[in-house]
Amino acid sequence: MSNSSLPDAGATAVAPAMVTHRPRPRRRSKRLKAWFPYLLVAPAVIYLFLITLYPGVYAIIQSFHAVKFGPWQPVGFANYVKLFGDYQFWGALWNTFVIGSIALTLQCVIALTLAFYAYRDPWVQGWRIIFLVPMLFMPSAVAFIFKLAFLDGRVVSDLLMRVGLIDANLSIQSSIWMSRGLLIIADVWQWTPFLFIIFVAALQGQDEEVEEAARLDGASWAAIFWNISLPLMKPVIAVALILRGIDITTMFTNVFIITKGGPAFGTETISYFIYRTGFKFFNFGYASAASVVMLIITIIIAQLVVKRAFVSVRT
Amino acid sequence: MASQRRKRGENLIIRYLILGAWALFCLMPVLWFLSIGLRPRVEIITPQPIYWPTFSLDAWHMIWEDWPMAKYLRNSILAIFGSVLIDLVLGIPAAYSLARYQYRGRDDIAFYILSTRMMAPAIVAIPIFFLFRNAGLLDTIWALMLIYAAINLSFVTWIIRSYMLDIPKELEDAARTDGASDLRILWEIIIPAILPGIITASVIAMIFAINEFLFTLLIASTPNAYTMSVALANFTGGSDGVIYNAIALVAFLAFVPVFLVVVAIQKHLSRGLTMGAVKGG
Repeated sequence: MSNSSLPDAGATAVAPAMVTHRPRPRRRSKRLKAWFPYLLVAPAVIYLFLITLYPGVYAIIQSFHAVKFGPWQPVGFANYVKLFGDYQFWGALWNTFVIGSIALTLQCVIALTLAFYAYRDPWVQGWRIIFLVPMLFMPSAVAFIFKLAFLDGRVVSDLLMRVGLIDANLSIQSSIWMSRGLLIIADVWQWTPFLFIIFVAALQGQDEEVEEAARLDGASWAAIFWNISLPLMKPVIAVALILRGIDITTMFTNVFIITKGGPAFGTETISYFIYRTGFKFFNFGYASAASVVMLIITIIIAQLVVKRAFVSVRT
Repeated sequence: MASQRRKRGENLIIRYLILGAWALFCLMPVLWFLSIGLRPRVEIITPQPIYWPTFSLDAWHMIWEDWPMAKYLRNSILAIFGSVLIDLVLGIPAAYSLARYQYRGRDDIAFYILSTRMMAPAIVAIPIFFLFRNAGLLDTIWALMLIYAAINLSFVTWIIRSYMLDIPKELEDAARTDGASDLRILWEIIIPAILPGIITASVIAMIFAINEFLFTLLIASTPNAYTMSVALANFTGGSDGVIYNAIALVAFLAFVPVFLVVVAIQKHLSRGLTMGAVKGG
């Protein structure tokens, strides 16, 4: 009992609120009450610790070893030194950034445009259901269908030739930018709905009286959108873009199925880089070093950006 | 009427042109899915793409006869429902704690739970792989269940917490003065009141679990634990290449129930997708 400093600290913090419910709590139940919220949240936190903290520590330790098939050989910072000199690692970071930022920008602009036109439309429910469709297909299947349409089946090339835009089959697989474009199009097709659904809800949820007043003053819809709706939506847009941004920067499925990182590693994302070094070349220590670097970047971004965005929306 | 005049003020043609164009872009690949799924294999990869294929149920027969599709389906369903169950059992009490009590470290705990959503699967993939290997869980649906639950726990907790925050406190206080314990209040008052939130969280968790690819790819190495998502990636006939019609058909069949469920919870979708940050609509 004497070493339980945490529950006592909790008890003092909780006491005022509790007193209103139970005027004279017995000492033991008071102690239990202070523990109670921690008990409720503990299983979830422990579970998440197991699945995030444990792997984090494991990856850090592994990153200081050479791990192939035999026992682990301690190598100090060798993996990190090699990593920072590895042009494929920097290339993967760059690809992730390029593909991610273009895809995210496109999705945001398209979703905002669509939401702007759809939310005042009498058939907004219908538009929502139609636009939702791509999001609900399994990403692995979507990747295959895009691969078929653009690469194996040459459907897109054929259609473009029929309308006379090009005169020969596109050689997408030998062009870095066309391959990146393919990954971007697949992502835009499947995930613009995610942002659209959120933006429409935010626009529908805004105060109609403000809009009405602006209309009576003769403001155009576009002006209302730019000057009133958009600034009010900023926190929502931030949260939506963060959630989408997380998924884009961890892009793996489409790379794995459509491009395999090629040509010339031009579409290799950081997730695919880790997968390739770890599970293709069985260079686990090296892959872990890359994981740790990513982990550190993730934590910094989480603390700086995500925390602020979610707090600002809640209030 | 005022609204009539308002509509005249802007160009409806542009509105419907833009919305219509996007609808077309959304739906064309879907029709393409169907047309691939319902054509014979020889008409898929041809020198000249075939736009009006012969109707064929080849893929339908293939997925049931050549592949243990029933087993993949069972694996998917068990792993997904199991994971959602774990999420609810862990997430509902956690959400209640975060929504209803004041205590030290609460906001940090809430943010920690949220931040696990940011972890790239690739970052933890290697340690998780070894963890499951050492536990002898590799290539089992138990491992998939546990990992799906972990991926979705942050989402589920935050969505449910957001719905709990909306419940007026008086509702609980009345019960509390009657002497009901906190757990009974949670079970008998809170949970029924936020049922839409729980359903929304479950549906979104289910979609993410169906979509999960990287972990499943690493954990499942034989049909013992293949789910639909990864089984699709293995629909290759060896030297013949990828069996696209089977992939397309399976994807379409999996899409239909998901679509129906999501349409049913449409009203809650935006709130669920933002972990409760956006309400209404």
